[in-house]
Amino acid sequence: MTQLLQVNNLTKTYGGPSVVNSISFELEERTSTALIGPNGAGKTTTLSMLAGLVTPSNGTILFQNQPKTDIRSSIGFLPQYPKFFPWLSALEFTEMAARLSGVEARQALEDAKKTLEFVGLGDAMKKRTGTFSGGMKQRLGLAQAIVHKPGLLLLDEPVSALDPVGRRQVMNLLKELQQETTILYSTHILNDAEEMTDQLLFLRKGTLVENGSLDSIRNKYENPRILIEFETEEELVRFETVSPWMVTKVRKMATIDAVKAGVGISEVLALLHSKKFSIRKLEMQTASLEEIFMKVVMEG
Amino acid sequence: MNSFSVLLRKELRENVRNFKLYWIPIVFVIFGILEPVTNHFLPEIMKSVGNLPDGAQFNWPQFQGEDIFVSLMSQYQTIGILVIILAFMGTISSERKNGTATLLYVRPMSFGSYFLSKWIVINGIILGSVWLGFFAAWYYIQILFNPVAAGDVFAFLATYSVWIIFAVTVVLFFSAWLSTGAAAGLSIVVLLILQIIDSVIGAFWTVSPWKVSTYATMMFSSISNQSGFWMSIGVTVVLIGALMFLGINSAKRNAAKTTV
Repeated sequence: MTQLLQVNNLTKTYGGPSVVNSISFELEERTSTALIGPNGAGKTTTLSMLAGLVTPSNGTILFQNQPKTDIRSSIGFLPQYPKFFPWLSALEFTEMAARLSGVEARQALEDAKKTLEFVGLGDAMKKRTGTFSGGMKQRLGLAQAIVHKPGLLLLDEPVSALDPVGRRQVMNLLKELQQETTILYSTHILNDAEEMTDQLLFLRKGTLVENGSLDSIRNKYENPRILIEFETEEELVRFETVSPWMVTKVRKMATIDAVKAGVGISEVLALLHSKKFSIRKLEMQTASLEEIFMKVVMEG
Repeated sequence: MNSFSVLLRKELRENVRNFKLYWIPIVFVIFGILEPVTNHFLPEIMKSVGNLPDGAQFNWPQFQGEDIFVSLMSQYQTIGILVIILAFMGTISSERKNGTATLLYVRPMSFGSYFLSKWIVINGIILGSVWLGFFAAWYYIQILFNPVAAGDVFAFLATYSVWIIFAVTVVLFFSAWLSTGAAAGLSIVVLLILQIIDSVIGAFWTVSPWKVSTYATMMFSSISNQSGFWMSIGVTVVLIGALMFLGINSAKRNAAKTTV
């Protein structure tokens, strides 16, 4: 895979503490990367710096291995709440967007039509954007971001403001786009990230606290535990005496930290079976995505 | 240049669809018609509705056609300038504030094209309106008063246009630099209040942008101070250029303030 974007020590300071504090990451071509963090973590500022709206206080951006400060001609940007000139129709706006990004006049009109069809605004392309609903605006926002076929798509909370149906539709569009372009998007909803992400970047208070694939982050934070519920408390006490592993007791339940104890569920099952324990439940528990999110971005 | 033509078309569409291209000329033309007509019929109007006692005698001033041009200009100097400020104070600042500018700024457009497209369209609308207004007045002046030499009228209009372009540039510059409210306030200070100050204590100097309109009125008689006139025009043109340069830079620097 070839590298599309390399960000080194990107920093933004407005006088006080850094809003974005020396973050570095790389984006491979045709991958999707989620920028994850709570509100105020610096997601929008990071995207704005890449989009050329905000000048970084420090740091370098390499696009296709070339140092660049202005990559506006190679990107498509969708703000969290895209605002359109209410007196332009969807087609007029998308065409203008394409032309401002350097597409030839005739080609721009054609591309604009195709793109609006793609995002599902084929019937509404002649309508003025002032009459559009939230979902339509989000789709038009996506259309203006992709109409000039940019190498890098920057999306700020692309689905957060949408209802479940709109969210589903936009996610499906993004999955299609994933085939042909590189996507960097911010979100605070991990379930969205789970669906279409190769790489996760966790931001906390402007600092990049975790960077990796979903699987690697899962492995690191899912904290697998084996939980056994016994029929009686006596059985639990008896289990404790024979168990070679550290056991945490809560009423009739025992919990074993699988990683610390270095044990799998089959070994536990074998022991329970050989000593004839009567149990009610045996299960492997892992942290949910929400728990991982809380763990990575909230804790110090 | 490509982005310039696209932005120019956007500005034109905007001003057609928000009706500024229509209502602003109408306002200026209405004043242009009212000025000669009311001045001509003032004695009759006063006689019928003025509640004058029987036998009251007034010596109404005998206006010349040239005087009507000048009094229409002083209407434009207050109401016309206010129209310019109110209609265009948010040209750049409100695009920034409501976030519509964001989707323009993230594209590889130059801020020179951005500023210039607005400057050209606004100047086109305002200059067109001012000229239309004076032409409407001229038509009634020819009928109701004396004919005025076309050469004088065009010299007057050309000179006054320099001041109008200056006024538009001031408003646009403040809109690029500040928020809409501050842009309106400072535009009023620069275009209306400084104008009053210049006319009160301006006898001590002859060169200033605020004197351009006074020099324009002299086109109907004779210019007492040729060099003062040309210096004022020169200073105003240089200021227009400087304000455009600063406006482009402000628009660029303030791009980060756009609502994302």
